[in-house]
Amino acid sequence: MPRMEKLIPRLKEIVGEAHLIRDPDKLKACAVDGKRPQAILSPGTIGEVSKVVAYANEQSLTLLPMGNGTKMGMSGIPKKMDVVLSTLRLNRMTDCDCENLTLSAESGIPLGEVQKRLLQEGKGYFLPLDPPFTERATLGGIVATNSSGPRRLLYGTARDLIIGTKAVFPNGDVVASGGKTVKNVSGYDMCKLLIGSYGTLGILCEITFKLLPLPERVTTLLLPFVRLEEAVQFGREILQSQYLPSSIEILNEMVVKKIKSPIVQQGNYLVAIGLDGVAESIERQVSEIGERAKKSSALEIAVLASETHSSFWKAIRDFSEGLVEEGSNFISFKSNFLISRCGEVMGSYEKIAKESGVDCGLICHSGNGMLYSYVFAGKGVRSKKEFLLNLIREFSSVAVKNEGHLIVESCPPGIKKRIDVWGEPRGEYEIMRRLKKEIDPKGILNPGRFVGGI
Amino acid sequence: MQREQMLEELSKIVGKENVLSSETDLLLYGYDASLFKGKPDCIAFPGSTQEVSEIVRFCHREKIPVIARGSGTNLSGGTIPTRGGVILHFSRMNKILEIDIENQRAVVETGLFTLALKNQLARHGYVYQPDPASEKVSTFGGNFAENSGGPHCLKYGVTTNHILGAEIVLPDGEVIQVGGKALDNPGYDLTGILVGSEGTLGIATQLTLRIMPKSEAVKTMLAIYNSLEDAGRTVSAIIADGIVPATLEILDKLTIKAVEESVHAGFPLDAEAVLLIEIDGLKDGMERLAERIMEICRKNHARDVKSAKTEAERTQLWAGRKGAFGAISRLRPNYLVCDGTVPRTKLPEVLVRVMEVSKKYNLTIANVFHAGDGNLHPLILFDERDEEELRKVHLAGSEIMKLCADAGGTISGEHGIGTEKMKEMFFVFSPQDIAAMRKVKKAFDPEDIYNPGKIFPEVQA
Repeated sequence: MPRMEKLIPRLKEIVGEAHLIRDPDKLKACAVDGKRPQAILSPGTIGEVSKVVAYANEQSLTLLPMGNGTKMGMSGIPKKMDVVLSTLRLNRMTDCDCENLTLSAESGIPLGEVQKRLLQEGKGYFLPLDPPFTERATLGGIVATNSSGPRRLLYGTARDLIIGTKAVFPNGDVVASGGKTVKNVSGYDMCKLLIGSYGTLGILCEITFKLLPLPERVTTLLLPFVRLEEAVQFGREILQSQYLPSSIEILNEMVVKKIKSPIVQQGNYLVAIGLDGVAESIERQVSEIGERAKKSSALEIAVLASETHSSFWKAIRDFSEGLVEEGSNFISFKSNFLISRCGEVMGSYEKIAKESGVDCGLICHSGNGMLYSYVFAGKGVRSKKEFLLNLIREFSSVAVKNEGHLIVESCPPGIKKRIDVWGEPRGEYEIMRRLKKEIDPKGILNPGRFVGGI
Repeated sequence: MQREQMLEELSKIVGKENVLSSETDLLLYGYDASLFKGKPDCIAFPGSTQEVSEIVRFCHREKIPVIARGSGTNLSGGTIPTRGGVILHFSRMNKILEIDIENQRAVVETGLFTLALKNQLARHGYVYQPDPASEKVSTFGGNFAENSGGPHCLKYGVTTNHILGAEIVLPDGEVIQVGGKALDNPGYDLTGILVGSEGTLGIATQLTLRIMPKSEAVKTMLAIYNSLEDAGRTVSAIIADGIVPATLEILDKLTIKAVEESVHAGFPLDAEAVLLIEIDGLKDGMERLAERIMEICRKNHARDVKSAKTEAERTQLWAGRKGAFGAISRLRPNYLVCDGTVPRTKLPEVLVRVMEVSKKYNLTIANVFHAGDGNLHPLILFDERDEEELRKVHLAGSEIMKLCADAGGTISGEHGIGTEKMKEMFFVFSPQDIAAMRKVKKAFDPEDIYNPGKIFPEVQA
């Protein structure tokens, strides 16, 4: 009897027969980079997660935590994945304390659902995160991958919004950190370690966030420019001003075409400025930023009403999801770099893509120095492997030159095998490996997928 | 190792003039702003990261504790040399290395005073948001180690939200860079775990900070109350109404009296509490928002609400808040600042219970606190020469922490655990939680060289 078979009865006993799946089709659907799990387990409580993990640790069974699996293509190829640990049954909002502006919720609940429910509370609240996969991304997946969106300019990212976590560590311990106070310096800030750790240190089970009341008004200014330099310069001018935009995005023509923006068809680069706040300040910013844009050679000034505003930003957030739906063949990247270098990086990427004869879509959080790029390799990616590897190297060296990194977010396994998706190693990796070794000595959580081979 | 030999080795690294070891010096660097005392073996003043690294390498080899120290303003005994060792004093490493406006970052050495950077930034129309009350003298290294707060954290977050990278000397002397000017570097957020680790994981020699353009407008208001609970209720009501001001600070009657006797901020002496409110941002709509806030104050029985008309009036109101701890120290020889934090909605009931503790132990307690964050600072007044009173102070302090923990809060909002609250860690953490933290300590500092005897309770509960 294969080893796994011996372990199944105990696992069934912990989660209940109905929550241990071995249906080959379902296992196939959970494959990561071509590797299939031998079972999918869906514990229903933190206590069950703890028991599963403790048993897995004892038996050296590797676990791959998963919510809705929207980001499974990210990060390295799993060294081993015996069991997928699904968080989907951990889907409760455990403490929605809007008066205190905090929310505790389990990790398997999708953010979209949380937002819908917060909208109904009192005067209306929201969790100020706007990462990709609007409807499907779960809180756990968002936090484990430190996923964020355009509005991070004003509201920050998970590290700014999370004040408490409850996670199951590899030895099965339920470890709580922080709580529901907005200030807390009792002990180490373990929340920070878990954010963006890709499930390699612990299984996130419950997370406490800061909430905000809905802004009085939201709107968007769309400003097309002919030249990249003009668009970047304008974004920078707004960033350095006292205005308080929630986002300053720069999109290239390829992206504008793909999202089928109803307004603004002209120009090669689109600057999208999101504004959240009190009515009076929105009015003034719309008019003053619009004035400035006119002077800075914007081709047009379009103001989006609330409905088109929402659909526009959703299209930006869910850009890669849209590409998957239309069946595009693409490789995607996330680059970080100095805020002031947006122009250089975007320009270089377009040039590299053009020289390689491929199309390239760019979405830049210009106020944060963050660029998402999509290279459309067309059909026959395999035959183009060498040249794509070369393109990745070139993209990466541009990011490094501008004090950042290139992370490959999705690519075919054939390419993944040949690269480190995390980019150049950093001097701090040794400490990271030591942390992993102390916390997960047997390497049961998501082995092989994180930086430095963690 | 013989002390003489240690002094010789350190002198080789930093120069003889940068090592102190007289009995007086050992006394002077053996205490901080808490109630604890210890005694180091000597004090060294490194002038560069290289020197810090060499000292640490030497101490690591000889198993000598290393305690990093700035101005010693911390309130939890975080810099107390509990097992002797070398105090690394950062006063010589106090330069602003770079103000990088176009990338909205500043890079500083860790011995720099917080306010010194802010003054330079003001010339560019920029701010570094965290504002610990001791910012005139507190160093960035201290802010980093304690994850300091301050009145403006309500809107802008605490120190950790504004430190994006650091140059770190590890306990074996190795120097690494964590984080940096760019956001979201791949890998674990080591910057995040190091901030607030109280000098037990790594010693920062340089920090990369987030800076932002100064707000266009600011409005400061003062609401006056005949009852402390009403002031507390107002705070909960403002937050519940969906307004997040930049600050919400409360001072109680005893504090008002002390403040008026020293800095004359213009607080009415017969009031039971005053609430200081500040909103900032764009000027548009600010008047309307201020009106809404003042209305909430009145609904919650404020007997008077006024707003600062001029910058001078605003400065005067803030002088009252910032000078509060100093003013209170004039009332009795000593005070203990508690740092309990509760969910904001729990403020009114917790305030009542704090006053019950005051009655129970017959101790005078003044309250001045970051109400918007739910961060209480009951100041217990006493005379340390009175042993019986001192004993009661420790009991009352611990009881206040317990009642904050029981209200769903925590034992420290911004001052740290240090030597003061190790026992009370079990009020908020399970042995499993603490065991996980110990693993982090072990990954960074397996030999317990950095700041030993802090944070972790000696015995398992």
